[in-house]
Amino acid sequence: MWKRKYRSEEQKDKISAYLYISPFFIIFAIIGLYPAIFSLYLAFQRWNGLGEMEFVGLRNFTIVLQDPVFWKSVYNTIVMGLMGTAPQLVVGIILAFILNQTYLKFKNTFRAMIFMPYITSMVAVALVFGVFFSNNETALANYVLNIFGLDPVSWKTSEWGAKIAISIMVFWRWVGYNTIIYLAGLQSIPKSLYEAARIDGANILQQLRYITIPLLKPFIILTVFFSTVGALQLFTEPTVFLGNAAFSRTEAMTIVMYLYRDAFNLQSFGTASATAIILLALIIIFSAINTYLSSGLGKKERRAKS
Amino acid sequence: MSTARQKLESLKKVFMYGFLAVVSLISIFPFYWMFVMATRPSAAYNSIPPTMTPGDRLVENFQAVLNKIPFFGALWNTFVLCVVVTLVVLLISSLAGFAFAKFKFPGKNVLFLAILLTMIIPPQLGLIPQYYLVSKFHLLDTLLGVMIVFFLNPLGIFLMRQYISNSVPDELIEAAKLDGCSNFKIFRSIVLPIILPAFATLGIIVFTATWGEFLWQFTVLRDPASYTIQVALSSLNTTNNVDFGMVMSGVFWATLPLVVVFLMFNKLFISSITEGSVK
Amino acid sequence: MLNFKRSLLLFLVLMVTLTLGACSDNDSSGNVNENNDENVTLDFWVFGATNYEDLAEEYEAENPGIKINVKVSELGDHHNSLFTALSAESGAPDIAMLEVDQLDRFKQAQDRFVNLYDLGAEDIKDDYLDWKWNIGKSTDGEFLFGLPTDIGPKAMFYRVDLFEEAGLPTDPDEVEALIQTKDDFISAGQTIKEELDKPFVDSMEMAYRAIMDGAEESYFDTEGNLLIEQNGNAVKKAFDLAVEMNDLGLVGKYDMWTPEWGNAVNNGDFAVEMGAAWLKGWILGNAPEANGQFKVATLPTEFAGNWGGSYVTIPNETKNSEEAYEFIKWLVSPENQLKSFESAGLFPSAPAVYEMEAFKNASDEFFGGQNTAQYFAKAAEDISFTYKGTKYVSAQDEVLNSLLNIQNGADPDEEWQAAVDRIKAIISR
Repeated sequence: MWKRKYRSEEQKDKISAYLYISPFFIIFAIIGLYPAIFSLYLAFQRWNGLGEMEFVGLRNFTIVLQDPVFWKSVYNTIVMGLMGTAPQLVVGIILAFILNQTYLKFKNTFRAMIFMPYITSMVAVALVFGVFFSNNETALANYVLNIFGLDPVSWKTSEWGAKIAISIMVFWRWVGYNTIIYLAGLQSIPKSLYEAARIDGANILQQLRYITIPLLKPFIILTVFFSTVGALQLFTEPTVFLGNAAFSRTEAMTIVMYLYRDAFNLQSFGTASATAIILLALIIIFSAINTYLSSGLGKKERRAKS
Repeated sequence: MSTARQKLESLKKVFMYGFLAVVSLISIFPFYWMFVMATRPSAAYNSIPPTMTPGDRLVENFQAVLNKIPFFGALWNTFVLCVVVTLVVLLISSLAGFAFAKFKFPGKNVLFLAILLTMIIPPQLGLIPQYYLVSKFHLLDTLLGVMIVFFLNPLGIFLMRQYISNSVPDELIEAAKLDGCSNFKIFRSIVLPIILPAFATLGIIVFTATWGEFLWQFTVLRDPASYTIQVALSSLNTTNNVDFGMVMSGVFWATLPLVVVFLMFNKLFISSITEGSVK
Repeated sequence: MLNFKRSLLLFLVLMVTLTLGACSDNDSSGNVNENNDENVTLDFWVFGATNYEDLAEEYEAENPGIKINVKVSELGDHHNSLFTALSAESGAPDIAMLEVDQLDRFKQAQDRFVNLYDLGAEDIKDDYLDWKWNIGKSTDGEFLFGLPTDIGPKAMFYRVDLFEEAGLPTDPDEVEALIQTKDDFISAGQTIKEELDKPFVDSMEMAYRAIMDGAEESYFDTEGNLLIEQNGNAVKKAFDLAVEMNDLGLVGKYDMWTPEWGNAVNNGDFAVEMGAAWLKGWILGNAPEANGQFKVATLPTEFAGNWGGSYVTIPNETKNSEEAYEFIKWLVSPENQLKSFESAGLFPSAPAVYEMEAFKNASDEFFGGQNTAQYFAKAAEDISFTYKGTKYVSAQDEVLNSLLNIQNGADPDEEWQAAVDRIKAIISR
């Protein structure tokens, strides 16, 4: 009797679960599935977007993998990911931790200001950064370099200038976003834990190490995963920053820009789709590695403690 | 001993406030500069070193914007778009997050992985097939045509799953079940109140992302009556005869409502924290 | 079980309300009125700064029952969104403007446009410049994609103050007499450089375009074969000229469309711009202090060329091709081209306009009261037809890249080879 009731409870849970996750999958089936299959199909076709398609086997993949510009874009994407995205996560945690302190005054104001870059329109951001990091010797960034006795940089056309300027822009725009997610994570940690730790005489660093980081770990993994995907799909910031030159120069061309250029500038949807599939593989590899590394982070702490 | 400790305390505070102040300043500076440009004639944009103080053309520039685009109509369309998308994403994500966090069911991991994979197709490539679908559903020029793509938000499900499994104790759910609560009742009266802070976070993120997206909105909405603010603003910025004062004014006034929305969410965020801690 | 139903119901109700809310918002695309002969709505996509909104209103007033929805966007967005619509074969407007450099890309989609010859366009052929008309045709000449709107004949914009300071003549006719050939152009540039220590032209792109915009053959032939490695090809000539001028220090680092360019124009940091008539609008918008500083002279014949200009086309999704054709025929008629010239600076492609009094006598405050139209008009009639091909813009970008690298110190021969290789990689896909 008891057993039967238990089973029906389990049955009910299953139905609930499927029902609760169904909206996402229903909408995905309507709007997401077709593009996915279409892209997969296109990767083996030669198509200019308008005429007939022609089956070409693996030719698209060969073209892309043999193109030095593609490998340059992979390199650029990784470098800018390391410079622009990785520091966000560290600074984001620090900011969230400070903003979560109970005694902090003007919490609301600080939080709003730090989140501001994320809500400022890309048009404005592009105009502002375009002026500050222009090729001109009088650009604000070059002015600052000059104060330190350094030579001016052509920010939009030099190998490292473009990467650094875009990384700064990416960092600036997304720090607040990650801070907000970490804050949500911190809110899910009961305040009583900190009080107990304080009573035991733990200082801030100890609190950070033994309470915050381990309990925040799932959120860190979450942001690491999404930041990895975001970094590998970097598109809007460099495109807007570089303006007209975005798809013709390679100093800061990312993988998605390479793909977009193939599709919309060169009318080669086949190679664009092939690139998307290669990118998919890269994203899976990198997010697996990063997620693995960041989940190792908390484990070591725990071992050290016990 | 105690004074040394107090000194350390206050030093720590000075450092924290200093750090926050620097980060905040860097964060809002471009926004401030946008405001400065919105109050000046076009030429100020070109001046080097950049102009740093507001001018006197605040009203004039905005007037020029109003003459050129249906600003308030577009703002309203955007508002409707963002509110609906945010509500739907919150609902879908919290339900699915609840299911993934607290239920056991066959295929759970595979399905979760599937959600992860859906976000990996670069949106730029999905443009043509998605446009094709939307046009076949006769949804071109409608807000629903724009929304339907935004409803898919894997981040929301991830975030909600994580937050729910961290902050909703299993014991609470068990207890409610013993009391005879249905799963939906548990969701509504136990889970929902606890996850309000996460709602605020996800709400802000979804709302602002929807507000700022351009490419898809531009592709679907072609009729000026259906324009959202991003699409309308883009028609201000056409290559010839650029009036930067006007463009910046449009951008500035279009960002301001977002700040208000953010502050509202922020309040929800704060109030739900204090409520949560009482419990 | 009841609760599952309730939650499902809640979800459905929400979805339905959303759907209704969104639908009632707007449903005013062109097809609403298709059954009603009295009312025809034409969707018209336009890019850049035109006066077509005003003209559309005028047309609506003259033709009751016709409604024209003009949608204005930025050049790149405009062409990409049109491409998407044509590719999906759904949602294209009744009328769309196409920029001349983008035209060949859309010629691949001949089946998605209405052949304007079928609507009687042959009748108005003689109203327009031959070379302009011919670009709007298919390679076999049987199919007409679009009617000509404006053109971009180039002339020399020069800073009167800088010419004077360097001891060069300032009167347009004298300037023209001084600069008759490529070599004259370079030696005038050297004078400016020596006297004022300022570059002659703004950027490598401009130096390169000097020959490119007037070249009779460019990167590809009509079969898509690459021409640039052949002897005597214009691309290499244009490239070499840009390199030569750069070596002499005549080329600045002010790329067009950037704020630095506007700033340099404002300050008079370079002396000459080889631009089309529409450049005036751009200078006015971005460098207001340059107002009155420039005058216009005819370029040496080897530099005469065309930069920009557009066509109006009718995608074949339209159900009202005849009404659309009547409208565009009216829109680009000589009388209306005059209006577009006067209010938006769109230079006419109908030579009849060049004879109109209002056009001939237009003196221009911006050019210190000079009557400039005749200089551009003279250039317009000297231009020849050039085949560009679908990848013209991408190939051009690759050459410009190399030129920028040379300006930053790279070796010209290596950069030329690198550009050729990159162009080959582009056409291989």
